[in-house]
Amino acid sequence: MSDASDDFDDYDQGSEFDFDEESFGGSDYGDNEGFEEVKPESTKLKAYEVEHEVLSTAGIQQRQDSQIGQVAAILGLSRESVMVLLLYFKWNNDRLLEQYTEDPEVVLKKAGISADDDSNKKEYKIMSVVGFMCDICCEDRQGLETFALECDHRFCLDCYKQYVTQKIVDEGESRNIQCPGDSCSLVVNNEGIKLIVEDRVYKRYLTLLNRTFVQDHEHLRWCPAPNCEYAIRCDDVSAKDLKTVVPTVQCACGHRFCFGCGLSDHQPCICILVKKWIKKCEDDSETANWISANTKECPKCMATIEKNGGCNHMTCRKCKYEFCWICIGSWAEHGTSWYNCSRYDEKSGVEARDNQAKSRASLERYLHYYNRYANHEQSAKLDKDLYLRTEKKMTQLQSTSGMSWIEVQYLAQASAVLQQCRQTLKWTYAFAFYLEQNNQTHLFEDNQKDLEMAVEQLSELFEKPIQELAGLKVTVMDKTAYVNNRRQILLEDTAKGLHEGRWRYQVELK
Amino acid sequence: MSSLCLNRLQEERKQWRKDHPFGFYAKPNKSSDGGLDLMNWSVGVPGKPNTIWAGGLYKLTIQFPEEYPTKPPKCKFGPNFWHPNVYPSGTVCLSILNEDEGWKPAITIKQILLGIQNLLDDPNPESPAQADAFNAFKKDKALYERKVRLQAKEYAVS
Repeated sequence: MSDASDDFDDYDQGSEFDFDEESFGGSDYGDNEGFEEVKPESTKLKAYEVEHEVLSTAGIQQRQDSQIGQVAAILGLSRESVMVLLLYFKWNNDRLLEQYTEDPEVVLKKAGISADDDSNKKEYKIMSVVGFMCDICCEDRQGLETFALECDHRFCLDCYKQYVTQKIVDEGESRNIQCPGDSCSLVVNNEGIKLIVEDRVYKRYLTLLNRTFVQDHEHLRWCPAPNCEYAIRCDDVSAKDLKTVVPTVQCACGHRFCFGCGLSDHQPCICILVKKWIKKCEDDSETANWISANTKECPKCMATIEKNGGCNHMTCRKCKYEFCWICIGSWAEHGTSWYNCSRYDEKSGVEARDNQAKSRASLERYLHYYNRYANHEQSAKLDKDLYLRTEKKMTQLQSTSGMSWIEVQYLAQASAVLQQCRQTLKWTYAFAFYLEQNNQTHLFEDNQKDLEMAVEQLSELFEKPIQELAGLKVTVMDKTAYVNNRRQILLEDTAKGLHEGRWRYQVELK
Repeated sequence: MSSLCLNRLQEERKQWRKDHPFGFYAKPNKSSDGGLDLMNWSVGVPGKPNTIWAGGLYKLTIQFPEEYPTKPPKCKFGPNFWHPNVYPSGTVCLSILNEDEGWKPAITIKQILLGIQNLLDDPNPESPAQADAFNAFKKDKALYERKVRLQAKEYAVS
């Protein structure tokens, strides 16, 4: 469904009950003023959430199969051929159908399928042919097993097997394994490969197919966590939406990440700003900023000078030029009345001072946000260590206070919430750095402040010695709930703001 | 050394001796013990008649890898060979000799040599391999052709 009709739906939802899938989806921000929707609260997605589904290997396979079946039914071709076509078109149904209806023969040829597909299709067979010699190994022994595609480029089974196995195992190729015959572009399809190679290699082939399937699909993405085999499906978000949505998904392995860019959860900051921020933090440009904030240049030879003491009568070490540190003007013009630096307002000095003041302010501003960002990153790491200690604490609690395993779980939960909130807070600073100063931004900063305070309080509770913790169970639980709530409020408001285009940035979003 | 590789090379040699295009030669090198080194061949490719390459018999070496014919052999002219698609080291840049492009196990030595002969007079401007010949080919045709003719004389069959 296109965006335009989507927006349209928002207006008459109050009077309509046939919500399509899209209206339930998370991409639909800002449509719940008044809560007219007739829909159980529990399934309602928050504004900052997106609908997504975790797919296991079997699930990916199934989606592949169903897409192949669907296209096969439309085109009236065999499943094997459709698979080759889809692989060629990188699983883009629309492009395939469009080009195929235009000129089926050209499309089949380009994708590497024999033109006399299906109607009089021979079944692939391994057979021996009298008087045959393999063009690859030159073996001509009688009863030699051979294989060929529709092109009839026949080779002995061993050579064929070795060739295909090499493609799959060594080169990791699955999409485009062509006939070994000279300049023949026919593709060995699934059926052929299954027939030729060992099971082990065929399994590898299927794995590779799954991999390309997920990589090629706009709405699928592998979970980036190490050793995780799941993929995530998220239908409602496409690349052009990323300026207004932070599509955060959670894999079955527990890893939370951004569907748009694959980085770890960076709500509420949008991908473009995250990239800018990370680049800024890594960049050397801040060194340059320090230099301009803390040094001046000799007005004559431009040597960089850091003043570390002494009077304002500067003599450049390099070019021996004499100037005034205060106004950067030539010392000779100062005469004897320099002490008041009467030349303060004169043009030669003004520009230099302006630039310096600006870069100094910009550095200070950056450092303000960076320090807070880095602080949360650091704290999150410490909290992680803390969590490991928490586990110990939980065991201790069980033995000292006689609480059961289930009764001490609140600590684990508090620790998880704490970490998540720090993650969120961290990115609020990156986000705020790029925001223009206006009333909306003040509201954002208020939310940020509330969350920050709540998090610090919970963090403090967490540090309490074990004896006290047992008695603080209710307090910790309340605080945990409160902190979590504050986080949701902040995310909800930011997400709505993104959707409504309420935020104004200091940089261009590109 | 795999038997597939050796069988194939022996057969290639047999086929070549039986029949090969006019003006070409291809033979395995002698190994140090006096036998044949089937993995390294010396070959000669004549320039096509009526082209600026005519008259030269261009010598190359062909090195077959262990994985041949799954992987392609490496074909090398002498160093500093004047041609836009030949690297300064002499290695030929040709799609059918590239594992990731046009190489197929069924391509024979004969086809390779004919392919190289074609390439001589029909360089591929999409994949330059050396700066000198490529720039001349693009910007100074006269210089390019003069150099080619000079080289043809250098490689002339005596």
